[in-house]
Amino acid sequence: MKINPHKKFEGIFLVNGKLATVSLRPGTTVYGERLVKSGKKEYRIWDFYRSKPATAIKKGLKEFPLKKGMSVLYLGIASGTTASHFSDIVGKDGLIYGVEIAERVLRELIIHAERRGNIVPILADARKPESYENIVFGKVDLIYEDVASKDQIPILIRNAEKFLKSRGYALIAIKSQSIDVTKKPREIYKKCLTELEKHFDILDKVELDPFEKMHLFVVMKRRN
Amino acid sequence: MKASIVTTVIGCFGVSEDNNIIAYIKFQKDPQIIAEKIQASETEKIPEEREIEDKLKKKGFTEIKKTSNEFIRTNLRALAIEKKFVKSQAELNKLISKVNIELTKIKIKKAVGRDALIMQVSGAIEELDKSINILVERLREWYGLHFPEMDRIIEKHEKFAEIIEKFGSREAIEHPELSQFREKSMGIDLNKADVKIVQNFAKDVLELYKLREELSKYSEDLLKKVAPNLEELAGPMLAAKLISLAGGLEKLARMPSSTIQLLGAEKALFRHLHGRGKSPKHGVIIVHQYIQKSPLEHRGKIARLISSKLSIAAKIDFYSKTNRAKEMKKELEKKIREIKSK
Ligand SMILES: C[S@@+](CC[C@H](N)C(=O)[O-])C[C@H]1O[C@@H](n2cnc3c(N)ncnc32)[C@H](O)[C@@H]1O
Repeated sequence: MKINPHKKFEGIFLVNGKLATVSLRPGTTVYGERLVKSGKKEYRIWDFYRSKPATAIKKGLKEFPLKKGMSVLYLGIASGTTASHFSDIVGKDGLIYGVEIAERVLRELIIHAERRGNIVPILADARKPESYENIVFGKVDLIYEDVASKDQIPILIRNAEKFLKSRGYALIAIKSQSIDVTKKPREIYKKCLTELEKHFDILDKVELDPFEKMHLFVVMKRRN
Repeated sequence: MKASIVTTVIGCFGVSEDNNIIAYIKFQKDPQIIAEKIQASETEKIPEEREIEDKLKKKGFTEIKKTSNEFIRTNLRALAIEKKFVKSQAELNKLISKVNIELTKIKIKKAVGRDALIMQVSGAIEELDKSINILVERLREWYGLHFPEMDRIIEKHEKFAEIIEKFGSREAIEHPELSQFREKSMGIDLNKADVKIVQNFAKDVLELYKLREELSKYSEDLLKKVAPNLEELAGPMLAAKLISLAGGLEKLARMPSSTIQLLGAEKALFRHLHGRGKSPKHGVIIVHQYIQKSPLEHRGKIARLISSKLSIAAKIDFYSKTNRAKEMKKELEKKIREIKSK
């Protein structure tokens, strides 16, 4: 077995060429991912068919700013497939606030949050950041949004204004189908990017097709 | 002088207008207890808050309010260490996570209402219908080997299964329309064991019919309590279906009536938006008896009228919980008569 750190991204590894993170809770899987033991460490294979940031990295994303010790606001955390890898990367000194509107999926996240100790489940609507301002301590280093709703862009901007540090990072998986099914994805991406550029510097972007149809993954930095 | 009481994971603060911390009371460092305190603090003044209030009053503050506070919020990490509540940020992270897990558990419990039961039952009935259909088709084919003539004569599925369950073999059947075909049947003969097993199969199918009946009675009872207005106006089947499609009574109550009108027609709408196919005029509400009984040319209008009434009914059910079903139904019937007489 060959295990190498990813050439560019801290906290990410390649196990026989497959993306992986070092498990914060060895011996447990979150979504049926493969576990690989090596010495004292256990690696969790990061399935790029199931998790959009992994897809983006697989497709050649050049900037992925998530690092050990960061605090993260995650909008649309669902049952924690992607968040579990984020949780591995930020480690026990980091923290992930996970906002989710559907209690059905949050129920599953809670089990993992209990085991991991660095995930804060929040049952709330990401359109109403006031409703969780008392839970999120201070400002966060990074916001990631994956909510698949029509108002994805304004949701990100409002949350960033309220919770993101100056020069903090914002990542989003834009789903064109949720914004307008009648328009071509590229048309929608262009509009979204124009909107985002008013608030962020765009560091990199990559389309997730064919693994995630009609999605664009964007990495940004808050301008002020 | 103005001051505020601010309750956080690490305890309660009394803060002056110029952001000086005047008083602080630590919580006991137990996630369960902290979660309960925060939960209680949302609706009442907890003991710690009252104590802070007293201290502020003693210091001469007169206008005291319970609020959230940006200064405390942004500095809480530093305060947690300074006030010796935790030793490290990692310890604090763990605590924040644990407290919010407890709080979220409480919220999840509250978020799930009895309408969730209606949705499960409605889904179960739909799946039962599918299963029953498949099994009855099988029963007809199977028993058809033995008595093919019966298939067309007994059209009702349940009746078909009942006859097999009751009599077993073709020779034993006593039924006015079937007896004449018995002697000259072109079906194969079955021995006792053959008959027994198909009879058991028929019996199990009938059990499923019973279960379905039981579920729909139960669903109706639930609806009468949870959504009496909707139940009366839509009928129990459609009411349950609408709640399910909307994802709950609250979501249905918040929906514009134009969306309710198209619930269940999402696929057709999607095709239409992609330039394939006509725009749908209605979704599941088409099964409403008033639409079914109306001539085609009035259906569009009546569908719109009914969805607007169902929308009001769902709102009353969710927000005010009064029962105005009878008067609403009368009004609806009147309006339908008006449409038809035009
Ligand atoms: C595509 S899924 C997220 C998958 C997840 N990010 C992962 O990779 O593991 C989108 C989630 O966003 C949630 N969502 C949609 N609208 C939301 C809103 N306004 N606020 C919070 N969550 C929302 C949905 O309930 C759903 O669970």
